Amino acid sequence: MSAKKTKQIAIYGKGGIGKSTTTSNISAALADAGYKVMQFGCDPKADSTNTLRGGEYIPSVLDLLSEKRRVDAHEAIFLGFGGIYCVEAGGPAPGVGCAGRGIITAVELLKQQRIFEELDLDYVIYDVLGDVVCGGFAVPIREGIAEHVFTVSSADFMAIYAANNLFKGIEKYSNSGGALLGGIIANSMNTDFHREIIDDFAARTKTQIVQYVPRSLTVTQAELQGKTTIEAAPDSAQADVYRALAKRIAEHTDSKVPTALNPKELREWSAGWADQLIEIERASERARVAA
Amino acid sequence: MAINLRTAAVETREQRLGTITAWDEGTAAKLAEQSEYSRGCGAGCGVGNKGSKLCELESPFTQGGSCAEQVVQGQASGILDAVLVQHSPIGCAANQPMNNTNFRNTLARRGMAVRNSLALSTNLTERDMVYGGVEKLQETIREAYRRHNPKAVFIATSCATGIIGDDVETAAREVQEEIGIPVVPVFCEGFKSKHWSTGFDAIQHGVLRQIVKKNPGKKQEDLVNIIILSGTDVYTPMLAELGLRANLVLNLATIEQLEQMSEAAASVSFCYTLASYFTAALEQEFGVPEIKAPQPYGFAGTDAWLRAIARATNREEVTEAYIAREHARVRPIVEELREQLKGLTGYVAMGASFAHGVVVVLRELGIDVPGTLVFHHDPVYDSGAPERDTLGHLVEETGDVENFTVGIRQHYQFYNLLQRVNPDFIVIRHGGLSPLASRLGKPSLQLGDASFPLGYQGIINLGAEILAVLGQKKFHEDLAAHSSLPYRRSWLDEKDPFALARAAVA
Repeated sequence: MSAKKTKQIAIYGKGGIGKSTTTSNISAALADAGYKVMQFGCDPKADSTNTLRGGEYIPSVLDLLSEKRRVDAHEAIFLGFGGIYCVEAGGPAPGVGCAGRGIITAVELLKQQRIFEELDLDYVIYDVLGDVVCGGFAVPIREGIAEHVFTVSSADFMAIYAANNLFKGIEKYSNSGGALLGGIIANSMNTDFHREIIDDFAARTKTQIVQYVPRSLTVTQAELQGKTTIEAAPDSAQADVYRALAKRIAEHTDSKVPTALNPKELREWSAGWADQLIEIERASERARVAA
Repeated sequence: MAINLRTAAVETREQRLGTITAWDEGTAAKLAEQSEYSRGCGAGCGVGNKGSKLCELESPFTQGGSCAEQVVQGQASGILDAVLVQHSPIGCAANQPMNNTNFRNTLARRGMAVRNSLALSTNLTERDMVYGGVEKLQETIREAYRRHNPKAVFIATSCATGIIGDDVETAAREVQEEIGIPVVPVFCEGFKSKHWSTGFDAIQHGVLRQIVKKNPGKKQEDLVNIIILSGTDVYTPMLAELGLRANLVLNLATIEQLEQMSEAAASVSFCYTLASYFTAALEQEFGVPEIKAPQPYGFAGTDAWLRAIARATNREEVTEAYIAREHARVRPIVEELREQLKGLTGYVAMGASFAHGVVVVLRELGIDVPGTLVFHHDPVYDSGAPERDTLGHLVEETGDVENFTVGIRQHYQFYNLLQRVNPDFIVIRHGGLSPLASRLGKPSLQLGDASFPLGYQGIINLGAEILAVLGQKKFHEDLAAHSSLPYRRSWLDEKDPFALARAAVA
């Protein structure tokens, strides 16, 4: 067993925002750079690691536990692109059971069997579903699991609300040795005002943007092949973006406590942006008419 | 697999040992053969080093049961200068009167001033389930400290807090820093393990992590940790004969006694179901040798147990002298008892390794034991030491048990089990099964005092008690004549106690 410290990172974000895509590309870029990486999907859909495995689903920790009471954690670990260890926590079907408890159970099983130490990992990256809706979804940011949290968000207000909720969770656990915020991965950044919105949110919550990731057809094409962009289009501009992101995450050391907006502040902030967006639209309409 | 003290929650028995709760394939020898000790890893059994994999029956329902949390309640509230905080809805505290009875009885048995045990509940309500119960927990710990000024606080988690994901570990650490005494979270959600004995492991895990001294300054070469349950202290006088002192844990121990476990010369127990985790972890993490021997039941078991302690503490000579004295004292009495007990048939129903020991004692007394029910089965104990193969020892020393069953204390199955063997009497440890036996006209002997059948004197104790119990035979026959069982004729005619489980598979 090695004495080296495994860097544990949690990536949160609203469902459908590109969290698993981003996470898998970070994992792939880190593996490409020679690191030993585990990607741990914490979403009952259990599809976080698909693009690391040619589009293939793997049995989740909870699938195995529901089949038999006694599970060797090794059975839940599958090798993916670049030797990445892929694990899916899994969980119940929509509308039943408790997905939060599922995350607790799955993470606990791997910890108890000392898997992280045994595999001598450089990085464990948790890909965690959306809003921190209950105690279970906060497990990766509690003490002793991830040290750094990154959130994937677009400039969409619902995504920003989810990020703000996550910040509240981080604030809560920050006093007791929990994970701190590394920053925002700004996804689907295609226009200037997208950047302005997310920059403004980062400034208001006293955090930083780690990387702007543009929306790109390359990503979609790669995903349709069941691959990450790093694997399918390593020479593309988008792959460079992910590599730059992975490098920043690898070099990142000091995370901070964010200042989440309270409901009133968040309402006022989004209302302010709504007014500005209307103004931008009017201006472009006037310009069009004038032309 | 090695014990892992780094995580706050203990690994369940099923995961560590491959524990099962339902098996009914025949003889004790067959179960011993299928277990880890004889089969070993790699023989088509579990993956990696997960040990053997026994075929387990799965019943479609459970009539009644217990859970790890209940065990933790009993264990934690029995630590003399600690307070238990149950972080749960109030229903989980329903067992407290029973715990308190046990606590008071044991104080009396041990000659201590009788008082009530100390426990509080966070009494979680709907609101707490929605918003989280951590603040209430911290407030309750502070209140426990203010009211009782304990040396430590133990928190028993519950199913409810496990599901909502309360961060009990952090909550405990924060209050610990504030009040300056150990606040030990014990993760014992009942849904995690199908057998309550995981509760023993859970509290021992907490004690090992937070109470036992990490760097003991000195070794106490004459101190032996004895992992006990509620029972008379037969150990102090026995060990005194060998020039040793008994550190009795956890039941009625003080925090100081728990702290000094790492200073002891060895750890030992009367029941490896109970002590498996503690003794293995003390050896692995603190270098305190685990005594690797059969349990102290019957002459051969007690001899081997004492000799193993003697070897670990360099007291062979004095031990041999003690063994010889005890044999000389006890054997003639046992001979007399054997005469009186001749031709009797007994049935044993209790926790696994304790049952293995009691069968040995009954056979030492010449009693036929054609059937035994154990409430679970561990195919191996944590250290994996073959000397601790209690079931193997039973079979090798005293012969096979024809009808050996693993079943989780189900009243409805107990009826069919007794029909198989028709014993003259029953030996149990848990009260729930004796009313059924009584209604069948069978007297039962309840070993509420866990020390009762132990060692050389235990053979005499058990023999004498069986004679006393058989004296009440008429009473039980009268009960049988004037009572009935609550089951349908179809079930009463059923020969197979696991008919429902087998039908569910078929």
